Amino acid sequence: MKDPTSHESYPDPHHDTYSNTVFGFWVYLLTDFMLFGALFATYAVLKNNTFGGPPAKDLFHLPFVFIETLILLLCSFFSGLGGASAHRKKKNRTIILFGLTFLAGVVFMVMEFHDFNRLIDSGNSWQRSGFLSAYFTLVGTHSLHVILGLLWIIVILLPVFWSGLTPVNIKRLSCLRIFWQFLNVVWVFIFSIVYLMGVN
Amino acid sequence: MLDPYHDWNISYKPVFLAFIFALILTIAAYFIVVEHIFTSLSNIYIILGLGVVSALIQLIFFLHLGIEPKPRWNLMIFLFMVLVVFVVIGGSLWIMSNLDYNLMLNMEK
Repeated sequence: MKDPTSHESYPDPHHDTYSNTVFGFWVYLLTDFMLFGALFATYAVLKNNTFGGPPAKDLFHLPFVFIETLILLLCSFFSGLGGASAHRKKKNRTIILFGLTFLAGVVFMVMEFHDFNRLIDSGNSWQRSGFLSAYFTLVGTHSLHVILGLLWIIVILLPVFWSGLTPVNIKRLSCLRIFWQFLNVVWVFIFSIVYLMGVN
Repeated sequence: MLDPYHDWNISYKPVFLAFIFALILTIAAYFIVVEHIFTSLSNIYIILGLGVVSALIQLIFFLHLGIEPKPRWNLMIFLFMVLVVFVVIGGSLWIMSNLDYNLMLNMEK
């Protein structure tokens, strides 16, 4: 399975399936963007329908969310470096960088659940108002993507351990990198539109 | 055979660039809101502007959008997605604010 001798110039014999797969994955991500677009539209419409409950201004802890944002940016950064290392066939470095992506992702998810718990404990769950329903749907869908991304890192790093950076594994790692960076692009809009504009 | 797209795949530099720019833009947006530097209304435009710039930088330097060789399918379907999202979000806001406005008038009668 291993091809440790393939240190020739980058374009591997599987170049065609590589770009086709990455293109197909990119199409999937764009449909995901559309899903988030619909959720953003819902949120923007329901933003002021607090039904007598607290508005966004009183609910969000901006410094906390700011740290979350930086941690998710680190995920994007580490996975980008990891993807480049995979293309350079640096096995250990790739595993370490995607491991760091995993750690940062876990920290992000823990903070996210802490924030959700804080809201639900103070009686502001998704059942409270239209605004909170839209908020939990939007941010919860993003969290769901992060959880799937974490599982995906585990599933992909195992074959990298076993069989090294084969062309197939490099292709998979590239899709994984794109997925994490896509998550961060979505989070930029959540941070700007939901949190910053909510508190502003 | 080493087209620019592949250069970008193995290069660490764009990753660092995107990280630094995104970091600066995020911190800027955060402090503009926390320190109330501008009025509330102009803050909204500035936040949106910074967010879009940050997203574009990440799309180009992280996700290599528009860097690929000639038939730029990635870029083309991306632009199509932007169109669809624009119609969905813009259309929803337009219709719903119109509805809101008309109902408000009825209540005031």
